Amino acid sequence: MCASVKYNIRGPALIPRMKTKHRIYYVTLFSIVLLGLIATGMFQFWPHSIESSSDWSVEKRSVRDVPVVRLPADSPLPERGDLSCRMHTCFDVYRCGFNPKNKIKVYIYSLKKYVDDVGVPVSSTISREYNELLTAISDSDYYTDDITRACLFVPSIDVLNQNTLRIKETAQALAQLSRWDRGTNHLLFNMLPGGPPDYNTALDVPRDRALLAGGGFSTWTYRQGYDVSIPVYSPLSAEVDLPEKGPGPRQYFLLSSQTALHPEYREDLEALQAKHGESVLVLDKCTNLSEGGLAVRKRCHKHQVFDYPQVLQEATFCVVLRGARLGQAVLSDVLRAGCVPVIIADSYVLPFSEVLDWKRASVVVPEEKMSDVYSILQSIPQRQIEEMQRQARWFWEAYFQSIKAIALATLQIINDRIYPYAAISYEEWNDPPAVKWGSVSNPLFLPLIPPQSQGFTAIVLTYDRVESLFRVITEVSKVPSLSKLLVVWNNQNKNPPEDSLWPKIRVPLKVVRTAENKLSNRFFPYDEIQTEAVLAIDDDIIMLTSDELQFGYEVWREFPDRLVGYPGRLHLWDHEMNKWKYESEWTNEVSMVLTGAAFYHKYFNYLYTYKMPGDIKNWVDAHMNCEDIAMNFLVANVTGKAVIKVTPRKKFKCPECTAIDGLSLDQTHMVERSECINKFASVFGTMPLKVVEHRADPVLYKDDFPEKLKSFPNIGSL
Amino acid sequence: MGGHMQSWRRKSLWLALSASWLLILLGVFPLLRLAVPARPRARAPQGWPRWLDAELLQSFSQPGELLEDGPQPPQAPRGDSCNWGACFDASKCRDGGLKVFVYPAAGPISETRRRILASIEGSHYHTVSPAEACLLLLLSSDTPAGQCEPVPAQWDGGRNHLVLNLHPAPCPQTVQLGQAMVAKASPTVDTFRAGFDVALPLLPEAHPLRGGAPGQLQQHSPRPGVALLALAGERGRWYTAGTNSSACPWDGHCEQDHGPKQTPPGALLPNATFCLIPGRSPDAWHFLQALQAGCIPVLLSPHWELPFSEVIDWTKAAIVADERLPLQVLTALQEMPLTRVLALRQQTQFLWDAYFSSVEKVIHTTLEIIQDRIFGASARPSLLWNSPPGALLALPTFSTSPVDFPFYHLQQGSRPVGRFSALIWVEAPGQLPLKLIQVVAGSQHCAQILVLWSCEKPPPPRWPETAVPLTVIGGHRKASDRFFPYSAVSTDAILSLDAHSSLSTSEVDFAFVVWQSFPERMVGFLTWSHFWDETRGGWGYTAEKANEFSMVLTSAVFYHRYYHTLFTHSLPRALRSLADETPTCADVLMNFLVAAVTKVPPIKVPYGSRHQEARPPLAPGSPGLRQEPQPAAQDCINQMAAAFGHMPLVSSHLRLDPVLYKDPVSVLRKKYRSLEKP
Repeated sequence: MCASVKYNIRGPALIPRMKTKHRIYYVTLFSIVLLGLIATGMFQFWPHSIESSSDWSVEKRSVRDVPVVRLPADSPLPERGDLSCRMHTCFDVYRCGFNPKNKIKVYIYSLKKYVDDVGVPVSSTISREYNELLTAISDSDYYTDDITRACLFVPSIDVLNQNTLRIKETAQALAQLSRWDRGTNHLLFNMLPGGPPDYNTALDVPRDRALLAGGGFSTWTYRQGYDVSIPVYSPLSAEVDLPEKGPGPRQYFLLSSQTALHPEYREDLEALQAKHGESVLVLDKCTNLSEGGLAVRKRCHKHQVFDYPQVLQEATFCVVLRGARLGQAVLSDVLRAGCVPVIIADSYVLPFSEVLDWKRASVVVPEEKMSDVYSILQSIPQRQIEEMQRQARWFWEAYFQSIKAIALATLQIINDRIYPYAAISYEEWNDPPAVKWGSVSNPLFLPLIPPQSQGFTAIVLTYDRVESLFRVITEVSKVPSLSKLLVVWNNQNKNPPEDSLWPKIRVPLKVVRTAENKLSNRFFPYDEIQTEAVLAIDDDIIMLTSDELQFGYEVWREFPDRLVGYPGRLHLWDHEMNKWKYESEWTNEVSMVLTGAAFYHKYFNYLYTYKMPGDIKNWVDAHMNCEDIAMNFLVANVTGKAVIKVTPRKKFKCPECTAIDGLSLDQTHMVERSECINKFASVFGTMPLKVVEHRADPVLYKDDFPEKLKSFPNIGSL
Repeated sequence: MGGHMQSWRRKSLWLALSASWLLILLGVFPLLRLAVPARPRARAPQGWPRWLDAELLQSFSQPGELLEDGPQPPQAPRGDSCNWGACFDASKCRDGGLKVFVYPAAGPISETRRRILASIEGSHYHTVSPAEACLLLLLSSDTPAGQCEPVPAQWDGGRNHLVLNLHPAPCPQTVQLGQAMVAKASPTVDTFRAGFDVALPLLPEAHPLRGGAPGQLQQHSPRPGVALLALAGERGRWYTAGTNSSACPWDGHCEQDHGPKQTPPGALLPNATFCLIPGRSPDAWHFLQALQAGCIPVLLSPHWELPFSEVIDWTKAAIVADERLPLQVLTALQEMPLTRVLALRQQTQFLWDAYFSSVEKVIHTTLEIIQDRIFGASARPSLLWNSPPGALLALPTFSTSPVDFPFYHLQQGSRPVGRFSALIWVEAPGQLPLKLIQVVAGSQHCAQILVLWSCEKPPPPRWPETAVPLTVIGGHRKASDRFFPYSAVSTDAILSLDAHSSLSTSEVDFAFVVWQSFPERMVGFLTWSHFWDETRGGWGYTAEKANEFSMVLTSAVFYHRYYHTLFTHSLPRALRSLADETPTCADVLMNFLVAAVTKVPPIKVPYGSRHQEARPPLAPGSPGLRQEPQPAAQDCINQMAAAFGHMPLVSSHLRLDPVLYKDPVSVLRKKYRSLEKP
């Protein structure tokens, strides 16, 4: 068929020379082939019956159809959990050695139905929540279906609730998993551990070295740094729609909503209610309601009926008391309601306590101090309470609200242990989005004044103004603290002057040639920069005096995390145009300095080159303008601080080039610069520039004091 | 005719062929499809199946089950192990906060121990009565081996006791520990009771008691060409490997491969970006050395608890890695983003300075941790422990909300509260600061005026009418009164003034606007500078006009009200009484305090020359504005330097002026034009 198609393509050229008989033959053949193709195509896209389509889409099966595994009564049993396990003793980290991108790979065993010798099931095959959990892992970046490359193994045997399974047989089922190997690198999820009468705080199923993500650990059973403490998921999270309620004073100061409380605790709570009256509300089961699902959603006090969990939103603090188990699903409901949990459960290991700072969202009260709860809570200032309410809600949103959130947080914790150098920080775990957005973590936060002896590196960006460049080099070389001079030769069509022609100066002079004429070359972190301080200077800045430059360096040493420059500029909000406007000299305020001559930390070169947000870097290179504004934005954004303008200088005006300083040119210049500010503000998503009303002068500037005794007498002019 | 025939035949042939093709297509293909088994398709990772009946699955718990999990009676604490709730009786600490009683030593005591005792006795935690104390501190013996401590009288099973074990004790189990908390150096992970015991750093014998050596870091980023790795060796030595080091620290071939320089014994601090510290080595004081040197500690599977791990977030300053993955660790270090390296380096220095550089800091940190446990909900948030200036200088009694302090506005995205309170100190009834009150009240930023009346005579009943509220506070005629945390102060900023200070409204306005940019610093008008006096072999200071300065006079200065709390509650008593004896010393002390906290110089703003002539003659004994400090006052700078353990003052070369200050442009353009009046 292929051959004939090929022939046909060549056909038109041959046809005129062929006999009619042949022509008919060819036309027929062509038609038939065409028809065949159409028919085949139609067949392919014709709606098929349901049976045949199953081949083509994702596998759809029923949980009831999964393979059955029969466990012989004498099949091996794992050891009980080893309490001394730590990551460096029981976890085989070699299995995680070759996972790219510092991300562990998780394998999920396929679902089986386990039955004992006589065919009685070991447990219900899988619960809705465990299915959700495995789905979440499977959909995440952690998942792999390659068992040989996995670092962590998650059995599909559902042990979320110990009450729904047979302990010995479940353990036997675990032991026969293909990579079990004493449970090494296996992760089990359990939310309801223990059983009557004494309710152990960890899953009773023998599991050898397997890690346990458990809800309701006590400090006695929790293996610090090995197990993961997780929340007990509250099904109400999905069933009930509870809109967020902001922080602030609420009707009840303290509320208890749990129904199955030990009488002794209930007495304590009721004593509190008697003492403090209306502000304390102790709820109980409703006795007069008909049984059914509705009972879960109602609470009563005397004859008053309250909706649960809605009533939690009416309280500032909500008691979360230990029941038979330490972990209580009510904690999730309470957090969600923005009610600050008062946790009264001695030795309870709070969910995700390895990474979450519960002090910010809860109050932990020892059981024997229960009668003092009210006074303890009253001593907390209102502002802190509101902070805690906000934090509680955020913890719920981020780590409690769905099975998926719980599963991913658990894996992230284990991942951070294995790749600690790529771990998520305290702030990322704990700060609510609003705080993360508003806060700045200055990359140069340590208050220190670098030694003067280090000096600075001057970087001169030049194209072809050799004469002016040489003058700049000569002038700058007079500055005592200059330690090196770097000329960035941005002209690809012309070679820099010969070595012998360059001015002879007392410090090393290096010329770097660039591959392309781009403005951003001036902010490249060249290896040649050995000092922390960088002086960016244009090749026509010859008006700055040596004192002026040296003073600029001294000021930078006192503010090493800021841009220190000479002429200052300002951004303003134009109310008529509803956008930012660039303002030039003669203002009482500054928010930017020109980088035609400015000192800054070389780290900002690294940031400018590799971490500039959005397309700003390319945009600047394309427009050949505003690289200085971009630098001002960048530094202000990461440090949260204003620039420092030094000395009275207002503009870089060279005496020789007054001719081009025309008014119209000025106008277009201002428009372009304003455009830059608006563009950058939209890319940064905020206006990071800070406005200040001060500049730095030498201590004795214009003071009545002998000039010759001043350190920087020749500080320059406007 | 023939043509017709031909066309008909052609048509029929055409039809027949098409029909047969159609038949073949429709009939044969499905047959083929059935006959040939579908070949297995190459699939993307299939993942967990989407069950058809997923919606029908049962929940892991029955609706009522979560509610009715059977109540259990309150449990008695278990005897075999302790945690904070079970083994510490915090009710004793409820009223007076943390009061610490230290057991006196039974026999002769060593010098180190005597100084440790002195340091605790000088602190505000100390109490002499064991009955009043809520924490009883037992300094584990540092006497020669063999002389073990007897069980102290108030032992009570160790309840509310802290056994402080700074150096590994000669007799390890001095007493049966029972319910006592143990603070010891580098405890093993297995015996450490988290949240109950306190992990200390392992201090070298000669660790300074007070002050301590500053961190070695002189610049934020690693020096170019500095070694990537240093490896902890025997007896406190370090081996450095070249910049492009391979896995040499692991295979032990450092010497042969790269010929690294072995640091000479005694010259101790590593010069590298990362310091590899094997986890099993018991001499964990490599760890402290690395911190001091600003070398990021890389701990390979440490078997000991990191010092003060309860409050210090070590992930910000050190890397705890698995020794079983050497290549991955090495690659991770080599490829670590510059931003992270910078942050880790700086954090090592901050932690060293804040908690580890002296024995006193280590002990105070231990006590502060216990105090935070007692405070529970009103303990310091993590931010206060883990960012400069550190928890010892951020008192939770002032506030637990970071925005109230001057240090955390950046992290919180907040600003200091809008206006300032002027606090005028009046010593002599003759010098009623009426003009000053009008000048200050004229400032748009002034919220209130507080007159601190510090004379024997009662204050006059009537004060001038001002735009802002004026309150008179009675003082105790002590210089340190000026820095008492008065509850009447309602703003973050305080403008501290003397009755004879002379200022103009625009000077006040401008200085306040500057202070808003530097809320953690003092912003003042008149300055002193300190210097090292070779001839006297001590520090001196002068009010001479100079090109630099390191102190601002508190007779006219803006600062954050938190410094009043710090001055009154954190400084040793001895220093405050020194300030009371010589009022000039109060100025010096305040400058020392703020410099020790911020580690940066104060800020000077312009001050009109006219004030200097117009100023009334000084009252005897009042701070010498523009006068050479008295010889007695000269000595207080040395006493304070000794008490601080180092010289905290830092010099500045600059003054912050208004942007158009004294520029040859029209005065009409200038916002602070009256600042320039001759």
